[in-house]
Amino acid sequence: MTRLGRIRAEFTASWHAFLRRRTAVFFTFFFPAIIVVIFGALVQTQPTGGGLFAEPKGYYIAGYLAVVVLFTPLSRVGSTVARYREGRRFEKLATTPLSRVEWLLAQALVNVVVIGVAALLLLALSILVTGTAIPATPATLLVVPFVALGVVLFCGLGAIIGRVADSQDGVIAASNAIALPLLFLSETFVTPDLLPAWFRPALGFSPLTYVARGIRAVTYADATTVALPNLAAVVVLAIAFFVAGAFAVPRTD
Amino acid sequence: MTAALVAEDVRKSYGDVTALDGVSLEIDPGEVFGLVGPNGAGKTTLVRALTGTTEVEGEISVLGSAPDRVEESQIGLLPQSFSPAGRLTARELARQYAGLYDEARDPDAVLADVGIDGETAEQWYETLSGGQQRRVCVAIALVNDPDVLFLDEPTTGIDPAGRRALWGLLEDLASGGTTVLLTSHSMAEVERLSDRVGFLSDGRLVARGPPRELVEAHGGRSRLLFETDASPATLDASGVGYDVSARNGHLVVEDVGPREIGDVVAAFESQGVEFESLTWKQPDLEDVYLELTGTSFEEAER
Repeated sequence: MTRLGRIRAEFTASWHAFLRRRTAVFFTFFFPAIIVVIFGALVQTQPTGGGLFAEPKGYYIAGYLAVVVLFTPLSRVGSTVARYREGRRFEKLATTPLSRVEWLLAQALVNVVVIGVAALLLLALSILVTGTAIPATPATLLVVPFVALGVVLFCGLGAIIGRVADSQDGVIAASNAIALPLLFLSETFVTPDLLPAWFRPALGFSPLTYVARGIRAVTYADATTVALPNLAAVVVLAIAFFVAGAFAVPRTD
Repeated sequence: MTAALVAEDVRKSYGDVTALDGVSLEIDPGEVFGLVGPNGAGKTTLVRALTGTTEVEGEISVLGSAPDRVEESQIGLLPQSFSPAGRLTARELARQYAGLYDEARDPDAVLADVGIDGETAEQWYETLSGGQQRRVCVAIALVNDPDVLFLDEPTTGIDPAGRRALWGLLEDLASGGTTVLLTSHSMAEVERLSDRVGFLSDGRLVARGPPRELVEAHGGRSRLLFETDASPATLDASGVGYDVSARNGHLVVEDVGPREIGDVVAAFESQGVEFESLTWKQPDLEDVYLELTGTSFEEAER
């Protein structure tokens, strides 16, 4: 069996296992819907009011997408690592030709598909429910690599969390503790000028910042960020986190 | 003949707890080696050491290579407490693991070998009974047609009929040249399947050999047990011709051969001893286990 065949076997199994956990499927897709409803339709943006949500609607598309790119892979892969470890599946897989890189790639691909669909749902809801306008240009298609690479990046981080945390409960707690600060300190919903000047350089340490900046550059007409440098940063970070995550996947006890 | 599995002075500790304390053994190609011992004796750690899934001190060789360098397709492993994805069917699980190898057996055929076919193969793993689940796990370990098979408590939870079917399958594999390392708490299973048995106690391999030799060396004498309210004091031991002792509501007469049972019964009856039942027991691997692990007869009978 080729490397591709091994990844396909693991992908297929993980994909079916995910689709059959109905609550996981429901909340994976309910999550973006509720975000749009709460922030887009209920809170609404106040372009002239100052404070939070003071930017035009289009500004927050990147934030909405960042939520699903960040939360779902982080908790899903972390939980999967914990579940595999508890079921002694890594011990079994260590005696098969499937490598840790191949295993994590299969998990990442499942997440790319799942988050891709969730992101499409989120964009559609944003347009239909809140009337947000998204530029229809070829550059807008760069949302696809930003989302896919962002998912790969946070799958890698999820694998590291899964390695460090000793249980599925631990993974969930650790994921939330990491994801929430990242979400609000990565130019998603909170603009840099709302943060103290001394703190703003710290935004550059969050990998989510580059995902949000890049997506905003291609989905918001008045964006002050540009796509390609951020895409380059996301590529580098995705590779780095993926490799670190693959090495973090347990092989021995 | 080059040994299929070699362990030389293997040591492993978890903090202050010593799991393996200088274990050495060789297992020949095509041999079924049973590994027994109390919980925590080090059986699973030794399986992990031999499969390269834990790091140990000492030398390990699997088919002439270090465990992490041996061709994966030659190894089959069923870890203890292995639990695959619950919402995949038995067939999907067998296909998943078959898909990881260059060459694998037909997943349906492997499942059929362990007695999983038809509608059962289409059920989610989590809806199968405990015994069926364990059989699926054995199928997963066999799907790559391995040369060396590690089975850590393979028949836990399997009903007697399923267990015997699995024993037949393992015997067929062994006769076909597959080397099997089997851990189990079932002495009957180990005694039936194993060419040799190793006893682990506190991380040390305290005895090894063919079951019959181990029984002769460590199994003690045969016993004739009378379930009775009588005590040895009421008996004239010289009239019985054997030593008689009392244990847990039984009078125990040791070292009685099958042909002498009638004589002993007649001696008891002639002395007016009434009994509810009698049991004659030859020493077996369980007696060896009890002897080597320091569990007394009285404790075991309780």
